[in-house]
Amino acid sequence: MSNTIFGKDAYWMNFFGLMILTAIEVGAVGSDLSRDTTLTVLSVVAVPKLLMIAAIFMHLWGSEDSRILTLTALFPAFFIIVMVLFIGLTHPDGATGLPAWCRPGTYGL
Amino acid sequence: MSDDYYGHDEDHPSPWGPHDWDHGAPHNSWFPVIMAIGIGIFLLMFARVFSFGEYDFSYLPMVFVGLAVVAAAMIVWWRQDMSFDGTYEPRSSGAPFKSIQIRKVGTWVFLMSEMMIFTALFSTYMRYRFGIPRCDTVFESGDWVEGTAVTCFEPASHLIASSWWHIAPGATNTFALIISSFTIVQALRWAHKPEGSVDEEVRRKRIYRYLGATWCLAALFLTLKMIEWFIGFHVPEIGFLGLQEHEIPSLYSEGYLINNDHYQHHDYIDETGAHMMANIRVSATMFYVTTGTHGFHVLGGLVGLTYLTYKAWTGAYTPQSAVSIEYFGLYWHFVDLIWVLVFPFFYLY
Repeated sequence: MSNTIFGKDAYWMNFFGLMILTAIEVGAVGSDLSRDTTLTVLSVVAVPKLLMIAAIFMHLWGSEDSRILTLTALFPAFFIIVMVLFIGLTHPDGATGLPAWCRPGTYGL
Repeated sequence: MSDDYYGHDEDHPSPWGPHDWDHGAPHNSWFPVIMAIGIGIFLLMFARVFSFGEYDFSYLPMVFVGLAVVAAAMIVWWRQDMSFDGTYEPRSSGAPFKSIQIRKVGTWVFLMSEMMIFTALFSTYMRYRFGIPRCDTVFESGDWVEGTAVTCFEPASHLIASSWWHIAPGATNTFALIISSFTIVQALRWAHKPEGSVDEEVRRKRIYRYLGATWCLAALFLTLKMIEWFIGFHVPEIGFLGLQEHEIPSLYSEGYLINNDHYQHHDYIDETGAHMMANIRVSATMFYVTTGTHGFHVLGGLVGLTYLTYKAWTGAYTPQSAVSIEYFGLYWHFVDLIWVLVFPFFYLY
């Protein structure tokens, strides 16, 4: 991969960017922000970090196979959305209110 | 038809291997499927051996049958590939991955299955985190009685993010993983340099040094994790910073344990001196299972890096064989990527 960012080597630029974003994360926790503000900062910072690692270090940007491999990487997105949104966030009594057929003990297990 | 180098018909290679790489035979194999069936038998029977705290050893023979199927399938699968000399990189011949290296596609599919594992852990964490009241909220509400354990969610960050020194191992680990992601792409870059453009001895040294640096950073990660979980550390007096000598206790010594149903944090004492006791089994289990699963992946990477570094030291990596570093690098970046989520949501928030 011979891509550049702002005319500089992509690997180096990505590395410096990730270091700065991580420093922001640690700084946000060390400062006296409210819990919700801290969560917002951490979430906002995590997204570009994920994209930077996937795009530059994992070569999902700028490589001849990038398009199909990006689609491959996005394939489980549907299942991730189902799990995170419908189980992780919205299901009431997710821990105790599951139907009998998916509780421990069913089928003798 | 004539027999090929391996002694079998070139159009009909033996299903027991090896594959006929010289003639571009497709890399078809039933043995991953058979191995999956073996894993299924093993897990199903293993779950029956340990059922609700009761042991039922009548299922034990089937556990070993499952393991035997897995071992046999792995051996045959490996034998099918044993003729591969590392120079011919098989490429997919069908849509949608036409002309892309099969092993690269396989690595990505593997990583996506890994993503599902961590998504399951994260969604469970979110369910419990938002479904169970936080311990500090319960304490402030006064809705508790001394001597009776309250079931509440105590995030590890309450201990870990309580001071800069407490967070130091986790923060250092975050930087270590990012640096290690960078060192491994540098190793790949040097392996990819065209022959003749760089002295081969310089190439060898650069690759094994970058891979060796990655190994050291992975070892640092696991060491700091052990310190954070089990050992703790001593902070000396630093006069010009106004820092007093003190101890940073481990999570273990703080009582942050998966079986602790009578956890007492030093913040949970009210003005009358009453101490709130908490059942933190769920929150501690979520923390240790998720960060432990990630740590196990780092350990696996460390084993892989040991082999890669040794191979680089022998000078085995050239532009033709650099794909091994590239594929391992994908795994390693994935481990870094998961930590990007684990660190803020399990260590900081």
